[in-house]
Amino acid sequence: MDSEHSIYDEVRRGMIPAHIYNDADVFARERSNLFSRAWLFVAHESEIPQPGDYVVRKVLDDSFIVVREEKGEIKAHFNMCLHRGMQVCRAEMGNASHFRCPYHGWSYRNDGRIIGLPFHQEAYGGEEGFSRKGATLLPAPSLDSYNGLIFISMDPDAPPLREYLGDFTFYLDFYTKQSEAGIELRGPQRWRVNANWKIGAENFAGDMYHTPQTHTSVVEIGLFREPKAEKRKDGNTYWAGNGGGTTYKLPPGTLEEKLRYVGYPDEMIERMKQVWTQEQQDVIGENGFMISAASAFPNMSFVHNWPMVEDGDDVLPFISIRTWQPISENETEVMSWFAVDANAPEEFKELSYKAYLMCFGSTGMFEQDDVENWVSLTNTAKGSMARRLLLNGRMGMLKDGSPVVQPLTDDEFAGPGVAHVGYGEYNQRHLLNRWADYLEDDPSEPQRPVVVGLVRTTPSAAAAEKAAAAKAEAEAQATAGSAKEASA
Amino acid sequence: MTLIGADLSAQAVLGKGATTARKSGESLSFGDPRHLELSRWLVEEAYALDDQRYEEWLDTLAEDIHYLMPVRVTTALGAGYTTSPGMAHWDENKYSLSRRVARFLTEHAWTEDPPSRLRHYVTNIRTFESDVEGELIADSAVLLFRSRGDTNPGSTISAQREDVLRLVDGRYQLARRVILVDESVLRTQNLAIFL
Repeated sequence: MDSEHSIYDEVRRGMIPAHIYNDADVFARERSNLFSRAWLFVAHESEIPQPGDYVVRKVLDDSFIVVREEKGEIKAHFNMCLHRGMQVCRAEMGNASHFRCPYHGWSYRNDGRIIGLPFHQEAYGGEEGFSRKGATLLPAPSLDSYNGLIFISMDPDAPPLREYLGDFTFYLDFYTKQSEAGIELRGPQRWRVNANWKIGAENFAGDMYHTPQTHTSVVEIGLFREPKAEKRKDGNTYWAGNGGGTTYKLPPGTLEEKLRYVGYPDEMIERMKQVWTQEQQDVIGENGFMISAASAFPNMSFVHNWPMVEDGDDVLPFISIRTWQPISENETEVMSWFAVDANAPEEFKELSYKAYLMCFGSTGMFEQDDVENWVSLTNTAKGSMARRLLLNGRMGMLKDGSPVVQPLTDDEFAGPGVAHVGYGEYNQRHLLNRWADYLEDDPSEPQRPVVVGLVRTTPSAAAAEKAAAAKAEAEAQATAGSAKEASA
Repeated sequence: MTLIGADLSAQAVLGKGATTARKSGESLSFGDPRHLELSRWLVEEAYALDDQRYEEWLDTLAEDIHYLMPVRVTTALGAGYTTSPGMAHWDENKYSLSRRVARFLTEHAWTEDPPSRLRHYVTNIRTFESDVEGELIADSAVLLFRSRGDTNPGSTISAQREDVLRLVDGRYQLARRVILVDESVLRTQNLAIFL
């Protein structure tokens, strides 16, 4: 344990033991202490707009059906039949009124309640043997949403999501609330990379320093209106609550002029002004900072950029949301969505999507060079030499811990949290410090298992339940035929 | 799923300007000169892509090309779709492809420096006449093997392609390519290649 404690101490002073990017023991602790408790993004409400729409998403090894049930409420069911543990849904998206286990035919309404249990009377002696009443697919321990972003926490006692995100929600709105309608998400593209999950999260949170080097090529081919990579040092990095990100400094002008400069049409600008607070508008309009990449702890990231998508001088902004899903200490599944304001004009949506494809995601020209670095880093972190090396992650900090540049004042930056102009690894440190806090703090007690089907009932209640169960069974037989997939 | 290029291209977000050519009739005889010409075209292209001769490759693409690879999703039998609505890996026109090629030609496309060792295996070629004058259709299966570094396991991508080839001044140009990749989750670090 001593060596583990020293890992966290080193991280807290900005020195990163290189092996944390490829270490099975560290990953085991991330699994037990971090991913067991943090809020994790799984889906957006716009992915499941109609009753019965579902997507299947994973939290590490656990598969959840995220579904809009008939009344319109969103639920997340653990994708495992209560009987023998088969997955009740093996598609990754679709529309269904019921999920029926292919093994023995148990079926569940899309709100999770068990509805069909073949030969309930003959096999179990009815309700007395297996009480269907109140039996549901196991719900996600905690489920909450912000601006339509649906999160799961494996901790039943997780704090409300809003509280967990804290002041980062101020910045989340730039990506996910550009009008009353909010965003619509498309995708995700999914692919697996042989890199540790933390590297991407850190990069998106605050690495403005890599842009001029890693992304030289996209500037050289004229994807941007200006030598954008060099402009990176004029932006700031901010950290607020449970997330942080990077910004670009825009040329002088009003809020409207700045939003037009990155390619937003006037009708979208008008709607942004209606939904953003004065402080949110001031970050762009008065302070001149435009949000770019960001990460919410632990493994969700955002990007906002504005390349040229056709010959000419016009740029078009796009937004992308992603998660870095850990598969192991050296493999990550990237899930990358394109996001756009639901009220945006159709032509804008098309070109914004094109901008996304050109820059980020599985084929994105920025992304391609990033991943090459991260795979290489992960490979190198495996060996014994990496255990001797403390990477210097102290950029922006002098020997005594004081900042190289002073944080922006309230007059200079209207957003919450702390922000610094120029290159620095403030946000990577924030992210890793949080990571250290979670890893050091062992869960106090193991979760108690959930018992299903064994509810003690009085004889009279049992008789009433029996009648109800018989009715439910008949209903289940009648509806089983309609449980087939409806196409979206 | 039966790949019908015209339908997938029409459903794609950026497929508006593309040719709408559809197959007509049965596949051409393997001895048909047009089948031999198209087969040769596809094999020559595979060598160009293996060698990363991308400028040369770009020259063989029509000005109005639609180059599409939808994202595949696992859906229940009978759902009626196996691609993610409104999302693709590539949904490209000549401009965006030209930027991708231009990037590889800079000295700073790090992901391909050192370059991958690539092998495009192209097989199961069959060819068709189409309902558009001067345009033929070729189906093929492609397996890409990609090796990077000395000991990293190679990655493979398996896909079916439906291509529209247009005869212009005695030369075939690729006017539409729809790639139906066989994996929902790609197991390669990026698509810094072409299929």
